[in-house]
Amino acid sequence: MSAQFYTSVITCLIMINVFLGAVSYLILLERKIASWVQNRLGPNRTGPMGLFQPLADGLKFLLKEDYDPLGVDKGLFRLAPVLALVPALIGWAILPLGGYMTWGDSQVLVAGAPINIGVIYILAVGSLAVYGIVLGGYASNNKYTFLGGLRATAQMISYEIPLGLCVLIIILMHGTARADYLVELQANGVWNVFYQPILAMLFFICSLAECNRAPFDLAECEQELVGGFHTEYSSMKLALFFLGEYFHLITSAGILVLLFFGGWDLPFIKEPIIGETAGIGWVLIKMGAFMGKIAVVLALVMVIRWTLPRLRFDQLMKLAWQSLIPLAILMLLETGVIVYLDFGYGWLTVCNVATAALVYFILPYLPSGPAINRKIELTGSRFSPPTEVAAN
Amino acid sequence: MTHPPAIDSFSHYGPLAVLILMAVGFGVANLILTHIIGPSRKGEIKGSTYESGMNPIGTARQRFNVRFYIVAIAFLIFDVEIVFLYPWATVFGGLADSSGLPELFLARMLFFVFTTIIAFVYAWRKGVFRYD
Repeated sequence: MSAQFYTSVITCLIMINVFLGAVSYLILLERKIASWVQNRLGPNRTGPMGLFQPLADGLKFLLKEDYDPLGVDKGLFRLAPVLALVPALIGWAILPLGGYMTWGDSQVLVAGAPINIGVIYILAVGSLAVYGIVLGGYASNNKYTFLGGLRATAQMISYEIPLGLCVLIIILMHGTARADYLVELQANGVWNVFYQPILAMLFFICSLAECNRAPFDLAECEQELVGGFHTEYSSMKLALFFLGEYFHLITSAGILVLLFFGGWDLPFIKEPIIGETAGIGWVLIKMGAFMGKIAVVLALVMVIRWTLPRLRFDQLMKLAWQSLIPLAILMLLETGVIVYLDFGYGWLTVCNVATAALVYFILPYLPSGPAINRKIELTGSRFSPPTEVAAN
Repeated sequence: MTHPPAIDSFSHYGPLAVLILMAVGFGVANLILTHIIGPSRKGEIKGSTYESGMNPIGTARQRFNVRFYIVAIAFLIFDVEIVFLYPWATVFGGLADSSGLPELFLARMLFFVFTTIIAFVYAWRKGVFRYD
Protein backbone atom coordinates (compact mmCIF):
# COMPACT_ATOMS: atom_id res chain seq x y z
CA MET A 1 0.00 0.00 0.00
CA SER A 2 1.97 2.93 -1.26
CA ALA A 3 1.11 6.42 -2.41
CA GLN A 4 1.00 5.06 -5.94
CA PHE A 5 -1.71 2.56 -4.99
CA TYR A 6 -3.94 5.23 -3.46
CA THR A 7 -3.40 7.59 -6.38
CA SER A 8 -4.34 4.89 -8.85
CA VAL A 9 -7.45 3.83 -6.95
CA ILE A 10 -8.61 7.44 -6.65
CA THR A 11 -7.92 7.96 -10.36
CA CYS A 12 -9.95 4.83 -11.18
CA LEU A 13 -12.87 5.92 -8.98
CA ILE A 14 -13.01 9.41 -10.47
CA MET A 15 -12.19 8.65 -14.08
CA ILE A 16 -14.58 5.73 -14.52
CA ASN A 17 -17.44 8.05 -13.56
CA VAL A 18 -16.08 10.82 -15.76
CA PHE A 19 -15.86 8.43 -18.70
CA LEU A 20 -19.35 7.02 -18.08
CA GLY A 21 -20.75 10.55 -18.07
CA ALA A 22 -18.68 11.38 -21.14
CA VAL A 23 -20.07 8.36 -22.97
CA SER A 24 -23.68 9.39 -22.43
CA TYR A 25 -22.92 12.88 -23.68
CA LEU A 26 -20.88 11.52 -26.58
CA ILE A 27 -24.02 9.74 -27.74
CA LEU A 28 -25.83 13.08 -27.63
CA LEU A 29 -22.93 14.69 -29.50
CA GLU A 30 -23.06 11.95 -32.10
CA ARG A 31 -26.78 12.53 -32.66
CA LYS A 32 -26.15 16.26 -32.87
CA ILE A 33 -23.35 15.78 -35.41
CA ALA A 34 -25.62 13.47 -37.38
CA SER A 35 -28.28 16.15 -37.43
CA TRP A 36 -25.81 18.84 -38.49
CA VAL A 37 -24.50 16.65 -41.29
CA GLN A 38 -28.01 15.84 -42.47
CA ASN A 39 -29.26 19.41 -42.08
CA ARG A 40 -31.89 18.81 -39.41
CA LEU A 41 -32.34 19.81 -35.78
CA GLY A 42 -31.52 16.68 -33.79
CA PRO A 43 -32.62 16.11 -30.18
CA ASN A 44 -33.71 19.50 -28.77
CA ARG A 45 -36.83 18.92 -26.65
CA THR A 46 -35.37 17.45 -23.43
CA GLY A 47 -33.89 20.38 -21.58
CA PRO A 48 -32.00 23.27 -23.18
CA MET A 49 -30.54 22.13 -26.53
CA GLY A 50 -31.45 18.55 -25.61
CA LEU A 51 -28.92 18.44 -22.83
CA PHE A 52 -31.04 16.17 -20.62
CA GLN A 53 -31.49 13.63 -23.41
CA PRO A 54 -28.81 11.23 -22.05
CA LEU A 55 -30.57 11.15 -18.66
CA ALA A 56 -33.91 10.40 -20.30
CA ASP A 57 -32.33 7.69 -22.45
CA GLY A 58 -30.64 6.05 -19.49
CA LEU A 59 -33.82 6.11 -17.44
CA LYS A 60 -35.80 4.62 -20.29
CA PHE A 61 -33.25 1.82 -20.79
CA LEU A 62 -33.59 0.99 -17.10
CA LEU A 63 -37.40 1.07 -17.05
CA LYS A 64 -37.98 -1.09 -20.13
CA GLU A 65 -38.82 -4.77 -19.90
CA ASP A 66 -35.85 -7.08 -19.55
CA TYR A 67 -37.01 -9.92 -21.77
CA ASP A 68 -35.35 -13.22 -22.62
CA PRO A 69 -36.86 -14.77 -25.78
CA LEU A 70 -37.83 -18.43 -25.52
CA GLY A 71 -35.14 -19.95 -27.74
CA VAL A 72 -32.11 -18.32 -26.12
CA ASP A 73 -29.40 -19.92 -24.03
CA LYS A 74 -30.24 -18.06 -20.81
CA GLY A 75 -26.85 -18.16 -19.12
CA LEU A 76 -24.80 -17.04 -22.12
CA PHE A 77 -27.48 -14.55 -23.12
CA ARG A 78 -27.14 -12.73 -19.80
CA LEU A 79 -23.37 -13.16 -19.61
CA ALA A 80 -22.66 -11.65 -23.04
CA PRO A 81 -23.42 -7.96 -22.26
CA VAL A 82 -21.23 -8.07 -19.16
CA LEU A 83 -18.47 -9.76 -21.15
CA ALA A 84 -18.69 -7.03 -23.77
CA LEU A 85 -18.69 -4.27 -21.16
CA VAL A 86 -15.96 -5.32 -18.72
CA PRO A 87 -12.94 -5.38 -21.11
CA ALA A 88 -13.97 -1.97 -22.40
CA LEU A 89 -14.32 -0.55 -18.88
CA ILE A 90 -10.88 -1.72 -17.77
CA GLY A 91 -8.94 -1.09 -20.98
CA TRP A 92 -8.25 2.62 -20.40
CA ALA A 93 -6.50 1.92 -17.09
CA ILE A 94 -2.94 2.22 -18.37
CA LEU A 95 -3.44 5.55 -20.13
CA PRO A 96 -1.10 7.93 -18.23
CA LEU A 97 -3.78 10.61 -18.08
CA GLY A 98 -2.21 13.13 -15.73
CA GLY A 99 1.52 12.53 -15.87
CA TYR A 100 3.68 12.52 -12.74
CA MET A 101 2.72 14.11 -9.45
CA THR A 102 4.43 14.64 -6.12
CA TRP A 103 2.59 13.00 -3.23
CA GLY A 104 4.30 13.54 0.12
CA ASP A 105 7.89 12.52 -0.40
CA SER A 106 7.28 10.10 -3.25
CA GLN A 107 6.49 10.59 -6.89
CA VAL A 108 3.43 8.96 -8.39
CA LEU A 109 1.96 8.50 -11.85
CA VAL A 110 -1.64 9.61 -12.26
CA ALA A 111 -3.01 6.62 -14.16
CA GLY A 112 -5.53 3.89 -13.49
CA ALA A 113 -2.85 1.21 -13.28
CA PRO A 114 0.81 2.13 -13.88
CA ILE A 115 1.83 -1.40 -14.85
CA ASN A 116 5.06 -2.04 -16.68
CA ILE A 117 3.70 -4.20 -19.51
CA GLY A 118 2.01 -1.00 -20.66
CA VAL A 119 0.49 -0.99 -24.10
CA ILE A 120 0.59 -4.78 -24.42
CA TYR A 121 -2.07 -4.86 -21.69
CA ILE A 122 -4.43 -2.88 -23.90
CA LEU A 123 -4.03 -5.36 -26.73
CA ALA A 124 -4.66 -8.27 -24.37
CA VAL A 125 -7.79 -6.72 -22.88
CA GLY A 126 -9.09 -5.18 -26.09
CA SER A 127 -9.27 -8.49 -27.90
CA LEU A 128 -11.39 -9.96 -25.10
CA ALA A 129 -14.29 -7.79 -26.25
CA VAL A 130 -14.90 -10.16 -29.15
CA TYR A 131 -16.18 -12.82 -26.74
CA GLY A 132 -19.14 -10.69 -25.69
CA ILE A 133 -20.14 -10.12 -29.29
CA VAL A 134 -19.76 -13.70 -30.50
CA LEU A 135 -21.53 -15.09 -27.42
CA GLY A 136 -24.33 -12.56 -27.77
CA GLY A 137 -24.77 -13.60 -31.39
CA TYR A 138 -24.61 -17.30 -30.63
CA ALA A 139 -26.85 -17.34 -27.55
CA SER A 140 -29.70 -15.46 -29.22
CA ASN A 141 -30.57 -18.43 -31.47
CA ASN A 142 -31.38 -16.11 -34.34
CA LYS A 143 -29.89 -16.38 -37.81
CA TYR A 144 -29.24 -12.66 -38.08
CA THR A 145 -27.46 -12.43 -34.76
CA PHE A 146 -25.44 -15.52 -35.56
CA LEU A 147 -24.26 -14.05 -38.86
CA GLY A 148 -23.57 -10.73 -37.18
CA GLY A 149 -21.50 -12.40 -34.48
CA LEU A 150 -19.51 -14.41 -37.04
CA ARG A 151 -18.82 -11.35 -39.13
CA ALA A 152 -17.79 -9.30 -36.12
CA THR A 153 -15.40 -12.04 -35.00
CA ALA A 154 -13.77 -12.36 -38.41
CA GLN A 155 -13.48 -8.59 -38.67
CA MET A 156 -12.06 -8.03 -35.21
CA ILE A 157 -9.47 -10.79 -35.38
CA SER A 158 -8.41 -9.71 -38.87
CA TYR A 159 -7.79 -6.11 -37.83
CA GLU A 160 -6.12 -7.23 -34.61
CA ILE A 161 -3.01 -8.19 -36.60
CA PRO A 162 -2.10 -4.82 -38.16
CA LEU A 163 -3.04 -3.19 -34.85
CA GLY A 164 -0.61 -5.44 -32.98
CA LEU A 165 2.08 -4.78 -35.59
CA CYS A 166 1.64 -1.02 -35.18
CA VAL A 167 2.11 -1.27 -31.41
CA LEU A 168 5.06 -3.59 -31.99
CA ILE A 169 6.77 -1.06 -34.26
CA ILE A 170 6.31 1.74 -31.72
CA ILE A 171 7.81 -0.48 -29.00
CA LEU A 172 10.68 -1.31 -31.37
CA MET A 173 11.37 2.39 -31.95
CA HIS A 174 11.48 3.31 -28.28
CA GLY A 175 12.58 0.08 -26.65
CA THR A 176 9.92 0.22 -23.96
CA ALA A 177 6.28 -0.75 -23.62
CA ARG A 178 5.53 1.44 -20.62
CA ALA A 179 2.93 4.06 -21.42
CA ASP A 180 4.43 6.91 -19.36
CA TYR A 181 7.92 6.36 -20.84
CA LEU A 182 6.44 6.49 -24.34
CA VAL A 183 4.80 9.83 -23.57
CA GLU A 184 7.95 11.24 -21.91
CA LEU A 185 10.05 10.24 -24.92
CA GLN A 186 7.62 11.98 -27.25
CA ALA A 187 7.32 15.05 -24.99
CA ASN A 188 11.11 15.46 -24.96
CA GLY A 189 11.45 14.72 -28.66
CA VAL A 190 9.06 14.68 -31.57
CA TRP A 191 5.62 13.11 -31.66
CA ASN A 192 5.62 9.71 -33.30
CA VAL A 193 3.11 10.78 -35.91
CA PHE A 194 5.89 12.80 -37.60
CA TYR A 195 8.17 9.77 -37.68
CA GLN A 196 5.50 7.25 -38.69
CA PRO A 197 2.61 8.95 -40.48
CA ILE A 198 1.61 5.78 -42.36
CA LEU A 199 1.56 3.83 -39.14
CA ALA A 200 -0.68 6.39 -37.46
CA MET A 201 -3.15 6.13 -40.32
CA LEU A 202 -2.97 2.34 -40.19
CA PHE A 203 -3.63 2.36 -36.45
CA PHE A 204 -6.58 4.71 -36.82
CA ILE A 205 -8.19 2.54 -39.52
CA CYS A 206 -7.65 -0.62 -37.48
CA SER A 207 -9.06 0.87 -34.30
CA LEU A 208 -12.17 1.95 -36.21
CA ALA A 209 -12.59 -1.65 -37.33
CA GLU A 210 -11.87 -2.98 -33.83
CA CYS A 211 -14.65 -0.82 -32.39
CA ASN A 212 -17.14 -1.87 -35.09
CA ARG A 213 -17.48 1.76 -36.12
CA ALA A 214 -18.51 3.03 -39.52
CA PRO A 215 -17.36 2.42 -42.21
CA PHE A 216 -16.63 -0.99 -40.68
CA ASP A 217 -19.89 -1.53 -38.77
CA LEU A 218 -20.78 -4.73 -40.60
CA ALA A 219 -21.65 -6.51 -37.39
CA GLU A 220 -24.78 -4.44 -37.02
CA CYS A 221 -25.66 -3.25 -40.49
CA GLU A 222 -29.39 -2.61 -40.37
CA GLN A 223 -30.11 -3.25 -44.02
CA GLU A 224 -28.79 -6.81 -44.04
CA LEU A 225 -28.88 -8.15 -40.49
CA VAL A 226 -31.77 -6.29 -38.76
CA GLY A 227 -29.68 -5.21 -35.75
CA GLY A 228 -26.75 -7.58 -35.99
CA PHE A 229 -25.63 -9.40 -32.90
CA HIS A 230 -27.92 -7.49 -30.53
CA THR A 231 -31.20 -8.02 -32.39
CA GLU A 232 -32.74 -10.04 -29.54
CA TYR A 233 -31.53 -7.79 -26.73
CA SER A 234 -33.67 -5.27 -24.89
CA SER A 235 -33.51 -2.79 -22.01
CA MET A 236 -30.26 -2.40 -20.07
CA LYS A 237 -28.63 -5.41 -21.72
CA LEU A 238 -28.73 -3.57 -25.04
CA ALA A 239 -27.45 -0.44 -23.34
CA LEU A 240 -24.48 -2.34 -21.91
CA PHE A 241 -23.43 -3.37 -25.43
CA PHE A 242 -23.56 0.26 -26.55
CA LEU A 243 -21.70 1.42 -23.47
CA GLY A 244 -18.98 -1.14 -24.10
CA GLU A 245 -18.69 -0.08 -27.71
CA TYR A 246 -18.33 3.61 -26.84
CA PHE A 247 -15.87 2.90 -24.04
CA HIS A 248 -13.82 0.84 -26.48
CA LEU A 249 -13.87 3.79 -28.85
CA ILE A 250 -12.61 6.16 -26.14
CA THR A 251 -9.87 3.70 -25.20
CA SER A 252 -8.80 3.28 -28.83
CA ALA A 253 -8.68 7.04 -29.32
CA GLY A 254 -6.66 7.25 -26.10
CA ILE A 255 -4.11 4.71 -27.35
CA LEU A 256 -3.88 6.52 -30.67
CA VAL A 257 -3.12 9.75 -28.79
CA LEU A 258 -0.71 7.94 -26.48
CA LEU A 259 1.25 6.21 -29.23
CA PHE A 260 1.29 8.85 -31.94
CA PHE A 261 0.16 12.25 -30.66
CA GLY A 262 2.26 12.65 -27.57
CA GLY A 263 -0.21 11.78 -24.82
CA TRP A 264 -0.39 14.61 -22.29
CA ASP A 265 2.25 16.66 -24.10
CA LEU A 266 1.30 20.15 -25.23
CA PRO A 267 3.59 21.54 -27.94
CA PHE A 268 5.51 24.68 -26.90
CA ILE A 269 4.09 24.63 -23.35
CA LYS A 270 6.43 22.81 -21.02
CA GLU A 271 6.32 22.16 -17.33
CA PRO A 272 8.90 24.30 -15.46
CA ILE A 273 10.88 21.32 -14.16
CA ILE A 274 9.52 18.02 -15.36
CA GLY A 275 8.84 15.58 -12.56
CA GLU A 276 10.31 17.67 -9.74
CA THR A 277 7.62 20.11 -8.69
CA ALA A 278 4.60 18.67 -10.46
CA GLY A 279 1.58 19.74 -8.46
CA ILE A 280 -2.11 19.11 -8.90
CA GLY A 281 -2.43 22.07 -11.26
CA TRP A 282 -0.11 20.59 -13.85
CA VAL A 283 -1.83 17.24 -13.49
CA LEU A 284 -5.15 18.87 -14.37
CA ILE A 285 -3.61 20.71 -17.33
CA LYS A 286 -2.06 17.50 -18.67
CA MET A 287 -5.30 15.63 -18.16
CA GLY A 288 -7.11 18.36 -20.06
CA ALA A 289 -4.60 18.11 -22.91
CA PHE A 290 -4.99 14.33 -23.07
CA MET A 291 -8.79 14.46 -22.99
CA GLY A 292 -8.86 17.29 -25.52
CA LYS A 293 -6.83 15.24 -27.98
CA ILE A 294 -9.12 12.25 -27.40
CA ALA A 295 -12.16 14.47 -28.01
CA VAL A 296 -10.73 15.67 -31.32
CA VAL A 297 -10.16 12.08 -32.46
CA LEU A 298 -13.70 11.12 -31.39
CA ALA A 299 -15.22 14.04 -33.29
CA LEU A 300 -13.28 12.93 -36.36
CA VAL A 301 -14.64 9.39 -35.92
CA MET A 302 -18.20 10.71 -35.72
CA VAL A 303 -17.85 12.84 -38.84
CA ILE A 304 -16.38 9.82 -40.64
CA ARG A 305 -19.44 7.79 -39.66
CA TRP A 306 -21.74 10.19 -41.51
CA THR A 307 -19.38 10.64 -44.46
CA LEU A 308 -18.22 7.24 -45.66
CA PRO A 309 -20.48 4.42 -46.90
CA ARG A 310 -20.17 1.01 -45.30
CA LEU A 311 -17.79 -1.55 -46.80
CA ARG A 312 -19.00 -4.89 -48.10
CA PHE A 313 -17.72 -7.97 -46.28
CA ASP A 314 -15.37 -9.14 -49.03
CA GLN A 315 -13.97 -5.62 -49.38
CA LEU A 316 -13.44 -5.51 -45.62
CA MET A 317 -11.48 -8.75 -45.53
CA LYS A 318 -9.54 -7.80 -48.65
CA LEU A 319 -8.54 -4.49 -47.06
CA ALA A 320 -7.29 -6.21 -43.92
CA TRP A 321 -5.45 -9.18 -45.38
CA GLN A 322 -4.24 -7.92 -48.73
CA SER A 323 -3.46 -4.29 -47.93
CA LEU A 324 -2.99 -3.48 -44.26
CA ILE A 325 -1.11 -6.59 -43.13
CA PRO A 326 1.51 -6.58 -45.96
CA LEU A 327 1.96 -2.84 -45.42
CA ALA A 328 2.40 -3.30 -41.67
CA ILE A 329 4.97 -6.08 -42.20
CA LEU A 330 6.86 -3.88 -44.65
CA MET A 331 6.91 -1.07 -42.09
CA LEU A 332 8.15 -3.50 -39.44
CA LEU A 333 11.08 -4.57 -41.64
CA GLU A 334 11.93 -0.96 -42.50
CA THR A 335 11.83 0.16 -38.88
CA GLY A 336 13.92 -2.83 -37.79
CA VAL A 337 16.62 -1.98 -40.32
CA ILE A 338 16.58 1.73 -39.38
CA VAL A 339 16.87 0.93 -35.68
CA TYR A 340 19.74 -1.46 -36.47
CA LEU A 341 21.61 1.11 -38.57
CA ASP A 342 21.05 3.71 -35.81
CA PHE A 343 20.95 6.66 -38.20
CA GLY A 344 18.36 8.54 -36.20
CA TYR A 345 14.62 8.54 -36.52
CA GLY A 346 14.49 11.26 -39.16
CA TRP A 347 15.16 8.46 -41.63
CA LEU A 348 11.90 6.82 -40.56
CA THR A 349 10.02 9.79 -42.00
CA VAL A 350 11.97 9.41 -45.23
CA CYS A 351 11.15 5.69 -45.24
CA ASN A 352 7.46 6.41 -44.70
CA VAL A 353 7.30 8.86 -47.57
CA ALA A 354 9.27 6.47 -49.78
CA THR A 355 6.89 3.63 -48.91
CA ALA A 356 3.86 5.75 -49.70
CA ALA A 357 5.37 6.72 -53.06
CA LEU A 358 6.34 3.11 -53.78
CA VAL A 359 2.85 1.83 -53.02
CA TYR A 360 1.28 4.60 -55.07
CA PHE A 361 3.41 3.99 -58.17
CA ILE A 362 3.74 0.21 -58.00
CA LEU A 363 0.15 -0.65 -57.15
CA PRO A 364 -1.22 -0.49 -60.75
CA TYR A 365 1.45 -2.97 -61.93
CA LEU A 366 0.90 -5.58 -59.23
CA PRO A 367 -1.00 -8.71 -60.25
CA SER A 368 -4.50 -8.52 -58.85
CA GLY A 369 -7.56 -10.69 -58.91
CA PRO A 370 -10.80 -9.79 -60.65
CA ALA A 371 -11.95 -6.28 -59.86
CA ILE A 372 -14.27 -6.08 -56.89
CA ASN A 373 -16.94 -3.96 -58.52
CA ARG A 374 -16.53 -5.12 -62.09
CA LYS A 375 -19.13 -4.33 -64.69
CA ILE A 376 -20.89 -7.40 -66.06
CA GLU A 377 -21.46 -7.10 -69.80
CA LEU A 378 -25.04 -7.78 -70.86
CA THR A 379 -24.18 -9.83 -73.94
CA GLY A 380 -23.15 -13.35 -73.02
CA SER A 381 -24.14 -13.05 -69.36
CA ARG A 382 -27.05 -14.76 -67.73
CA PHE A 383 -29.02 -11.53 -67.90
CA SER A 384 -28.94 -11.25 -71.70
CA PRO A 385 -31.96 -12.46 -73.65
CA PRO A 386 -31.29 -15.64 -75.68
CA THR A 387 -30.66 -14.44 -79.23
CA GLU A 388 -32.11 -17.53 -80.99
CA VAL A 389 -35.46 -17.03 -79.33
CA ALA A 390 -35.45 -13.38 -80.28
CA ALA A 391 -34.64 -14.25 -83.93
CA ASN A 392 -37.55 -16.65 -84.14
CA MET B 1 13.51 11.90 -19.13
CA THR B 2 14.05 13.11 -15.60
CA HIS B 3 13.30 10.95 -12.62
CA PRO B 4 10.55 8.63 -13.78
CA PRO B 5 9.38 6.78 -10.67
CA ALA B 6 10.37 3.13 -10.58
CA ILE B 7 7.31 0.97 -11.16
CA ASP B 8 8.22 -2.64 -10.76
CA SER B 9 6.43 -3.95 -7.72
CA PHE B 10 3.51 -6.27 -7.99
CA SER B 11 1.35 -3.96 -5.86
CA HIS B 12 0.81 -1.79 -8.92
CA TYR B 13 -1.54 -4.44 -10.25
CA GLY B 14 -3.72 -3.86 -7.20
CA PRO B 15 -5.62 -0.88 -8.65
CA LEU B 16 -6.36 -3.03 -11.68
CA ALA B 17 -8.11 -5.58 -9.47
CA VAL B 18 -10.16 -2.78 -7.91
CA LEU B 19 -11.07 -1.50 -11.37
CA ILE B 20 -12.11 -4.97 -12.59
CA LEU B 21 -14.31 -5.40 -9.52
CA MET B 22 -15.91 -2.03 -10.20
CA ALA B 23 -16.53 -2.88 -13.86
CA VAL B 24 -18.08 -6.28 -13.11
CA GLY B 25 -20.13 -4.75 -10.30
CA PHE B 26 -21.42 -2.01 -12.59
CA GLY B 27 -22.47 -4.49 -15.28
CA VAL B 28 -24.12 -7.01 -12.96
CA ALA B 29 -25.86 -4.30 -10.89
CA ASN B 30 -27.35 -2.80 -14.03
CA LEU B 31 -28.63 -6.19 -15.20
CA ILE B 32 -30.24 -6.94 -11.82
CA LEU B 33 -31.73 -3.43 -11.54
CA THR B 34 -33.39 -3.53 -14.93
CA HIS B 35 -34.67 -7.03 -14.20
CA ILE B 36 -36.32 -5.83 -10.98
CA ILE B 37 -37.60 -2.45 -12.15
CA GLY B 38 -38.88 -3.26 -15.62
CA PRO B 39 -42.31 -4.82 -16.25
CA SER B 40 -42.64 -8.49 -17.17
CA ARG B 41 -45.27 -9.83 -19.54
CA LYS B 42 -44.50 -13.12 -21.21
CA GLY B 43 -46.12 -14.71 -24.23
CA GLU B 44 -45.73 -17.41 -26.85
CA ILE B 45 -45.56 -15.09 -29.85
CA LYS B 46 -43.55 -12.45 -28.00
CA GLY B 47 -40.92 -15.00 -27.07
CA SER B 48 -40.40 -16.28 -30.59
CA THR B 49 -37.24 -15.47 -32.50
CA TYR B 50 -37.42 -12.18 -34.39
CA GLU B 51 -36.54 -12.72 -38.01
CA SER B 52 -38.26 -9.75 -39.61
CA GLY B 53 -41.75 -11.20 -39.32
CA MET B 54 -41.02 -14.58 -40.90
CA ASN B 55 -41.73 -17.69 -38.87
CA PRO B 56 -38.25 -18.96 -38.00
CA ILE B 57 -37.32 -22.20 -39.76
CA GLY B 58 -35.15 -24.52 -37.69
CA THR B 59 -32.47 -23.41 -35.31
CA ALA B 60 -29.77 -20.86 -35.96
CA ARG B 61 -27.03 -23.07 -34.56
CA GLN B 62 -26.00 -24.94 -37.64
CA ARG B 63 -23.01 -25.26 -39.92
CA PHE B 64 -21.43 -22.07 -41.14
CA ASN B 65 -19.09 -21.10 -43.90
CA VAL B 66 -15.63 -22.67 -43.61
CA ARG B 67 -13.94 -19.40 -44.60
CA PHE B 68 -14.45 -17.99 -41.10
CA TYR B 69 -12.57 -20.99 -39.76
CA ILE B 70 -9.65 -20.47 -42.15
CA VAL B 71 -9.44 -16.79 -41.28
CA ALA B 72 -9.23 -17.75 -37.60
CA ILE B 73 -6.32 -20.11 -38.32
CA ALA B 74 -4.47 -17.46 -40.34
CA PHE B 75 -5.05 -15.05 -37.46
CA LEU B 76 -3.49 -17.51 -35.01
CA ILE B 77 -0.32 -17.76 -37.11
CA PHE B 78 0.15 -14.00 -37.19
CA ASP B 79 -0.85 -13.37 -33.62
CA VAL B 80 1.64 -15.88 -32.29
CA GLU B 81 4.29 -14.32 -34.51
CA ILE B 82 3.57 -10.88 -33.07
CA VAL B 83 3.63 -12.21 -29.51
CA PHE B 84 7.07 -13.71 -30.11
CA LEU B 85 8.30 -10.42 -31.54
CA TYR B 86 7.36 -8.28 -28.51
CA PRO B 87 10.36 -9.30 -26.33
CA TRP B 88 12.61 -8.90 -29.34
CA ALA B 89 11.31 -5.38 -30.00
CA THR B 90 11.81 -4.35 -26.38
CA VAL B 91 15.51 -5.20 -26.25
CA PHE B 92 16.61 -4.71 -29.87
CA GLY B 93 17.21 -0.95 -29.75
CA GLY B 94 19.32 -1.13 -26.58
CA LEU B 95 21.83 -3.80 -27.61
CA ALA B 96 25.50 -2.82 -27.42
CA ASP B 97 27.08 -2.30 -30.83
CA SER B 98 30.39 -4.00 -30.11
CA SER B 99 28.90 -7.25 -28.83
CA GLY B 100 27.85 -8.45 -32.28
CA LEU B 101 24.37 -9.10 -30.93
CA PRO B 102 22.52 -6.52 -33.11
CA GLU B 103 23.45 -8.36 -36.32
CA LEU B 104 22.41 -11.68 -34.82
CA PHE B 105 19.09 -10.31 -33.57
CA LEU B 106 18.31 -8.59 -36.85
CA ALA B 107 19.11 -11.75 -38.84
CA ARG B 108 16.91 -13.85 -36.56
CA MET B 109 14.02 -11.44 -36.88
CA LEU B 110 14.37 -11.30 -40.65
CA PHE B 111 14.39 -15.09 -40.84
CA PHE B 112 11.38 -15.34 -38.54
CA VAL B 113 9.34 -12.77 -40.47
CA PHE B 114 10.47 -14.38 -43.73
CA THR B 115 9.00 -17.75 -42.75
CA THR B 116 5.72 -16.02 -41.89
CA ILE B 117 5.73 -14.21 -45.22
CA ILE B 118 6.10 -17.56 -46.97
CA ALA B 119 3.04 -18.85 -45.09
CA PHE B 120 1.19 -15.66 -45.95
CA VAL B 121 2.00 -15.92 -49.67
CA TYR B 122 0.95 -19.58 -49.64
CA ALA B 123 -2.39 -18.71 -48.05
CA TRP B 124 -2.87 -15.86 -50.50
CA ARG B 125 -2.19 -18.08 -53.53
CA LYS B 126 -4.53 -20.72 -52.10
CA GLY B 127 -7.30 -18.12 -52.11
CA VAL B 128 -7.83 -17.95 -48.36
CA PHE B 129 -8.48 -14.21 -48.52
CA ARG B 130 -10.86 -14.33 -51.50
CA TYR B 131 -14.50 -13.76 -50.68
CA ASP B 132 -16.14 -13.44 -54.08
